[in-house]
Amino acid sequence: MNFTFSDEQEELRRTIRRFLEDKSPSAEVRRLMETDEGYEPAVWKQMAQELGLQGLAIPEEYGGQGFSFVETGIVLEEMGRVLLCAPFLSSVCAGANAILNAGSERDKENLLPGIASGEKIATLALGEPGGAWDADAITLRAQRSDDAWTLDGTKSYVLDGHIADLIVVAARLEGTAGTNGVGLFVVDGDADGLTRTLLETIDKTRKQARLEFSGVRAAPLGQPGAAWPALSKTLDQIAVCLSAEMTGGATRCLDMAVEYAKERVQFGRPIGSFQAIKHKCADILLRVESAKTAAYYAMWAAADDNEELPVVASLAKAYCAEAFFFAATENIQVHGGIGFTWEHDSHLYFKRAKSSELLFGDPTYHRSLLADRIGI
Amino acid sequence: MNVVVLVKQIPDPANPYELVDGRLKRGVAQKVMDPGDEYGVEAALRLVDQFGGEVNVISMGPAAAMEAIRRALSMGAHKGVLVTDDALGGADALATARVLAAAIKRSEFDLVIAGVESTDGSTGVVPQMVAELLGVPQSTFAKEIEAKDSSLTIKRQTAAGYDMVECPLPAVITVTAGVNEPRYPTFKGIMQAKSKPVDTVSLGDLGLGGDDAKPTQSVDAVNPAPERGAGEKFEDDGTGAAKVADLLKQLKVI
Repeated sequence: MNFTFSDEQEELRRTIRRFLEDKSPSAEVRRLMETDEGYEPAVWKQMAQELGLQGLAIPEEYGGQGFSFVETGIVLEEMGRVLLCAPFLSSVCAGANAILNAGSERDKENLLPGIASGEKIATLALGEPGGAWDADAITLRAQRSDDAWTLDGTKSYVLDGHIADLIVVAARLEGTAGTNGVGLFVVDGDADGLTRTLLETIDKTRKQARLEFSGVRAAPLGQPGAAWPALSKTLDQIAVCLSAEMTGGATRCLDMAVEYAKERVQFGRPIGSFQAIKHKCADILLRVESAKTAAYYAMWAAADDNEELPVVASLAKAYCAEAFFFAATENIQVHGGIGFTWEHDSHLYFKRAKSSELLFGDPTYHRSLLADRIGI
Repeated sequence: MNVVVLVKQIPDPANPYELVDGRLKRGVAQKVMDPGDEYGVEAALRLVDQFGGEVNVISMGPAAAMEAIRRALSMGAHKGVLVTDDALGGADALATARVLAAAIKRSEFDLVIAGVESTDGSTGVVPQMVAELLGVPQSTFAKEIEAKDSSLTIKRQTAAGYDMVECPLPAVITVTAGVNEPRYPTFKGIMQAKSKPVDTVSLGDLGLGGDDAKPTQSVDAVNPAPERGAGEKFEDDGTGAAKVADLLKQLKVI
């Protein structure tokens, strides 16, 4: 296990930072927030074909570059830092990993190269209108008639579900409950019987959709009815990815707060020299550093694919979410009046922090998972 | 086509710099390959993609300048040469040109590409001196490059537009920031850069002596650019336009 990043990984971080500062400045984020698609296809293409980011952790035999969750985590941290508007979490972290975990060799050969090359955008449809993220919450019905599977029901909070070319859907076989009888199915974005509606969300930097399935034909991914272990692992990996991304956002909030505290003069001195502001900045630093530690350890566990993953994934998701929300809130406080304005970026981080906190399970849910997983 | 690209490691222009005795303090601050050099590397890679051959990256500087060479290698260049020697501290443009020309001559080349000027030193004369020392034609400020087997046509940026310049190879050209969009290295490229061959050579290895590295220029004083003063204000009582016009006439703008 390595406790520091290699020179090459640091160079990757510098490269991605430069790329994102160039392609995703605040003005661009705000422009994309107002679009329905929510991303810039030219940047997405450059990310895939020039930098190879979508395929970074996809094995070489499926069109990727074959690196690990550590490199993906570095990339996500940088994306979180600038609130990149792109379907990376949905397509790469959720979609590609679900296929890698659940799919047959043929599924992987068919589906992954398109995701790695950026030509196809994938997503995972798990959540339902009830708002829970566990196995019991999966009620969308999968039925077999003759040779084909059909899906009926509603999915919600599906990341980039309105634009995805390829949707991995978690469904339940008839007469089953809990972790038994869960199946993963692949559906084309433009399949017959599928109605997609873009949701109005507080965080416009990441789009969500409601998907209604009415007799939609679907191809099973792996063994229908026995997909829970693969899905559970995918959810742990997504939690790790989100933790890295949230850490990047939290770091940016810290930087913004400290920068402003040094620059803003009140009563004849920079506000950073007042104890109340110093304490706020120190508290943000403490949370951000702890969040980094948790996220990096989780990235390593995911890369190593070891038995610690379920425990540290939930730990990291719970901690990083709270750290990001804390940093985003305190950043607004340090900024005072200007922090509450529409023009300042701090509210964008606040909203992203809130949506990321709830996505794929809030801290309370993940702490209870953590307790179950360590057996208390 | 074998293309040599001249690159330089400079302190990150995004960070504040510090001068000590008229020389840049090369401390712990983050250093980067001169952003202007990335256009040269990209131009070279495109030519080699088209015609075959290799891109050889040459730099002069302290041992840490290896990072600039690695950066170019991670973008796809094939090999590198780093000339580093304590005797080169404080080298001026001519000394630098002598060293670079000697390093270039060590292998066969068809084209040498450099940025228009370094972002930190900004002398903008090294490439011309290198061309003279190599005895090959030079063509500067390229904003577009088109190559044939034995000649090169460039669009040379001028104040009014551009000139079309054709020159035989081998040659030295300098490229502007408008010539292309440099590629970002992939992580695989960054990993591979580690194992690409880079020669580290001293003055002696190039057949040069201490005299060749001796600066012929010295910096006597360094002063910050004067701050802009406040402009003149005209109250517009109906004659404002005429007063502005007078001022512009005085400045010979109209």
